[in-house]
Amino acid sequence: MILDHHKRFQRMIDESLAGGISGEKEQSLREHLATCAPCLEYLSASNRVIAVLGGFSFEVNPTLNARIMEALKLQSQNVGAAQPGRPQFMRQYNVQFKVWAAFVLALSMSIAGSALVYQVAKLLAVPMHFNTAQVQAGVLVFWLLPSVCAALCLLVAPREKRGLA
Amino acid sequence: MESDTQRIALGLRQRDIAVLETLVEQYQYRLVRYLVSLLGRRDGVDDLVQETWLRVLERGCSYDWHSRFEPWLFRVARNIALDTMRKRPMFSLDSKGEDGVRSSPATGEPSPYTLAARTQDAERLAHSLQSLEPACREALVLRFQEDLSLQEISAIVEAPVSTVASRIYRGLATLRAQFKGETA
Repeated sequence: MILDHHKRFQRMIDESLAGGISGEKEQSLREHLATCAPCLEYLSASNRVIAVLGGFSFEVNPTLNARIMEALKLQSQNVGAAQPGRPQFMRQYNVQFKVWAAFVLALSMSIAGSALVYQVAKLLAVPMHFNTAQVQAGVLVFWLLPSVCAALCLLVAPREKRGLA
Repeated sequence: MESDTQRIALGLRQRDIAVLETLVEQYQYRLVRYLVSLLGRRDGVDDLVQETWLRVLERGCSYDWHSRFEPWLFRVARNIALDTMRKRPMFSLDSKGEDGVRSSPATGEPSPYTLAARTQDAERLAHSLQSLEPACREALVLRFQEDLSLQEISAIVEAPVSTVASRIYRGLATLRAQFKGETA
């Protein structure tokens, strides 16, 4: 029982160190630590580990920065030469423009297609004994709406991919 | 912070070499340290660092200035490291990873942590750190050396916050055990 009690607070110490503890729990933990030696020891061991993590010092190759800057300048020139006067952000806008153009095209085609289907449906309506309202509803539900939705998908899909490194 | 990140984002979008030079100087050591923790080895890290900066130049326009630069940079570096490991199995890390991160087999050479230990405590922990599950080691380094929040780490490693937290707890527990005998 007492062991569980300590474990609960030690778990809170871990949460606190990881940065995922609520203010209320933090307060209760602070109060507990003021009176509990084992948990205080647990905290001090944890802090020691964290301090040790900072005790490793890796050597960085002194020529690495220069090498990287050289590669960056070269790459930058190559990209500049490949696309004169056309920076990266222009390409980004270009992609957006293409998406919008595809949307407008898809929308126009769906409206034109719907008009055509409506004309055909009107011709077929007479022998099949449908009235005009039924034909209009049929074209709207089974043709126009699905095709407009498909056109809208063109706009939505690329947004999901934005922000990926 | 906003003005700093805005300046970085603008510089990256314009492929401003002066801005990149400042970033390289500012983040180089941290990038090396992160990649060593991810790979568990020192060799090959320089090439990955260079590849990372080239990718930053290439895709800098995707950096969103509303968030800090470091998490974005580490995420780019991580993607490159994982891609390289997939393409070149000799580069691969150990096979404990939950996310494809595997660690290299022991070769008898001292680990990067043994070489980098500057204190007695660090020497004691070097072996445990090297043999730690790479995902836990990565989470510990990002949290306690890079001072990133759980949410930022979660975005870098593409794992839920709860998973990242449990990796940190596990890592701390393993390393704490090294000091247990001494403090008992």
